[in-house]
Amino acid sequence: MRNILTLAILAASVSGAWAQIGNPAFMGADTRMQKPGDPAPNQTNNSDRVFARLVAAGGAAEVDFAHMSADRASAESVKNFAQRMVKDHDAANHELAQLADTAKIPLPEGLLPDQEAMKAKLNDLQGHDYDVAYMAGQITDHQRTAHLLEWEITGGEDANLQQFAMKTLPIVLEHLQLAQKIHAELTDASGGIR
Amino acid sequence: MRTTLKLSLWFALPVSTAILIGIPALSDPLPPDLTYRPLPTMPFSDAKSIDEAQKRAVMERQQAMLRQRYDLADKPIDGTMMSGGRKPVQGGVRVKLPEGTTWEDLSNLTPTEIRDRNLLPSGFKPLPHVKQSAGGQVFPQAQIDAIARLEQRDLRRFDVDFDLPDHLTPEFPPPIFLTTHPELGDVSRGEVLSIRNFYEIMNGLITPVQMEGLRLLLTPFPQEEFNQTEDRKVAQQSLGVACLDCHANFHTNAAFHQTPDVRPQSARFRLDTTSLRGVFNQQIHGSKRSLRSVEDFTQFEQRTAYFNGDHVSATRKGANLPDRTNQVAMMAQMQNIIDLPPAPKLDPFGRLDPALATEQELAGEKVFMGKGRCADCHVPQTNFMDNNMHDLKLERFYRIGEVTNDFVALPDGPIKTFTLRGIKDSPPYLHDGRLLTLADTVEFFNLVLGVKLDQKEKDDLVAYLLAL
Ligand code: HEC
Ligand code: HEC
Repeated sequence: MRNILTLAILAASVSGAWAQIGNPAFMGADTRMQKPGDPAPNQTNNSDRVFARLVAAGGAAEVDFAHMSADRASAESVKNFAQRMVKDHDAANHELAQLADTAKIPLPEGLLPDQEAMKAKLNDLQGHDYDVAYMAGQITDHQRTAHLLEWEITGGEDANLQQFAMKTLPIVLEHLQLAQKIHAELTDASGGIR
Repeated sequence: MRTTLKLSLWFALPVSTAILIGIPALSDPLPPDLTYRPLPTMPFSDAKSIDEAQKRAVMERQQAMLRQRYDLADKPIDGTMMSGGRKPVQGGVRVKLPEGTTWEDLSNLTPTEIRDRNLLPSGFKPLPHVKQSAGGQVFPQAQIDAIARLEQRDLRRFDVDFDLPDHLTPEFPPPIFLTTHPELGDVSRGEVLSIRNFYEIMNGLITPVQMEGLRLLLTPFPQEEFNQTEDRKVAQQSLGVACLDCHANFHTNAAFHQTPDVRPQSARFRLDTTSLRGVFNQQIHGSKRSLRSVEDFTQFEQRTAYFNGDHVSATRKGANLPDRTNQVAMMAQMQNIIDLPPAPKLDPFGRLDPALATEQELAGEKVFMGKGRCADCHVPQTNFMDNNMHDLKLERFYRIGEVTNDFVALPDGPIKTFTLRGIKDSPPYLHDGRLLTLADTVEFFNLVLGVKLDQKEKDDLVAYLLAL
């Protein structure tokens, strides 16, 4: 599993070998540039900042829910999934925190309101119901995260954050597919499995 | 009225309760510019000079990607010209194989093996736009020159150029064939139809209704990159773009764009202009939208800033709302008399006439109808289409989410079956133009459909496609 992940990160960074190029019309008038159209390092725009904050909050919640699920989930597949979330997201969260720190973006602390609500809901559930609700929540979370990563790739300006988005996206999509598969197995549905 | 009111009250009650209960669980929506186009923030002249300074790097990045994926050389097939006799058809497989593999090796692997070993030729993957972050329509030089000459209208963008070499695009100007005058053959006089010359060229050949439709199809209207606001990519305030700027002479000049149907921006795939030849036979229009009539398509394109799926932005730039009965119908009727190029070897069933076809073409037809399974979707009797959309599930073969030049490769999903009539005239192939020759399409479908054709069968199939 670990190997697949490292390989994947390698492949992703290779295919992103050509630097990203934004649309200058949508950049701030005061953007510092190292070359025309190429924002100076650690220069952020609003998309970068919203992106970093939302993805950081999502990542932290992922780990939080995953720890909770490692104890409370019943199905083996859900437990394994939760473990993988801890491992993958811990690393990604750490990297994002560093990038945000370099770019001077303050990150939110604690859970966002919708994550609190999800946690409260999960707290009330047990056994199979817990598993299904956790996996359903994971599907939505990974869908949202994938969209935010896609948004950052053309919407952001901080090259570090954009690189982060590029290499994280395939992994998040893999998590999404895995979550869909497990959810479908738990519910006897085939929704989303291609 | 009374009952409707009562009914709606009745229904409103549980709904609003549900909303009330729902509130605490609702999350913030994602930021608005995942869906909506933001307004420019950089002054136009600054953005323009940055774009101009960056253009070379943009084009070099694109060329590097193209060279890595394809053999772009000028290698015409001996003695095979497009229908107007103006441009040779290019031959050979142009998609590059990963080091150390052969097409045969690949066809013996399962999709999962190809994906896990990262062996899908990158030329089979979705093709990025020249500049994903800006997107928008990009015209080939020949079209830019023709419109500059005929109308003194500027179709040149200051941020990007067209990216494919000229020999890999359709002949220009394309011939025009009319269903109403098959006896005349090409009526284009070797000219590009424009608002300055259409009347002279078409007077006497078409009806007043068709003529008015043609005039509208040649009238430029402002849209996303060519307009009068600061949100544009053309130097001067522009009159805009006409339908036939892309569908040159109702065919295609390979101008490309991005799909209107997908957001966010990085996920919008490239769209190669489709030919309008034979559009009279199509029941569904657009690779994804499946609009049900030429009328709907025509009316809608102008409403949403031509291929941006964005009526909001279009409204700011000057949307055109053609009148359904007085204008749209006429535009549609003009499009509906554009015929496919002659295929003298086909009989009325769309099958080869053995008296006229070569041995190799006949062998190719056999593969097409049989082992290759092409006719499962490209049905000869219905113009080599099935008026359906199909999901070829190419993502079985590669890892989704990889980013190339700011473009995220995601599953294509269902795409409509394109006609194969006159197919040699309309490179590049597939909805995004990712395949450069017919030989490429044969390798592509051989792999995707898993039909395991041998080299002779592939060559025969290409010979057959050239006869359509
Ligand atoms: C930027 C170049 C461009 C312009 C300008 C343009 N088109 Fe198109 N046209 C395309 C592309 C690309 C497609 C394929 C769309 C898709 O796959 O969704 C297309 C598809 C079509 C189709 C559907 C054909 C089919 O096979 O499904 C029709 C009809 C059409 N265009 C008519 C028009 C009309 C009418 C106008 C003017 C209002 C227009 N086009 C302007 C590029 C263009
Ligand atoms: C399952 C249905 C299906 C089968 C079977 C099929 N095709 Fe297609 N074909 C499609 C679809 C859908 C497209 C459009 C795909 C796209 O643009 O992404 C297409 C596109 C094409 C194109 C490009 C058309 C253009 O205008 O760009 C060619 C050429 C082609 N097919 C040839 C073949 C050949 C040769 C075979 C048999 C080996 C074959 N197809 C089998 C559905 C099919």
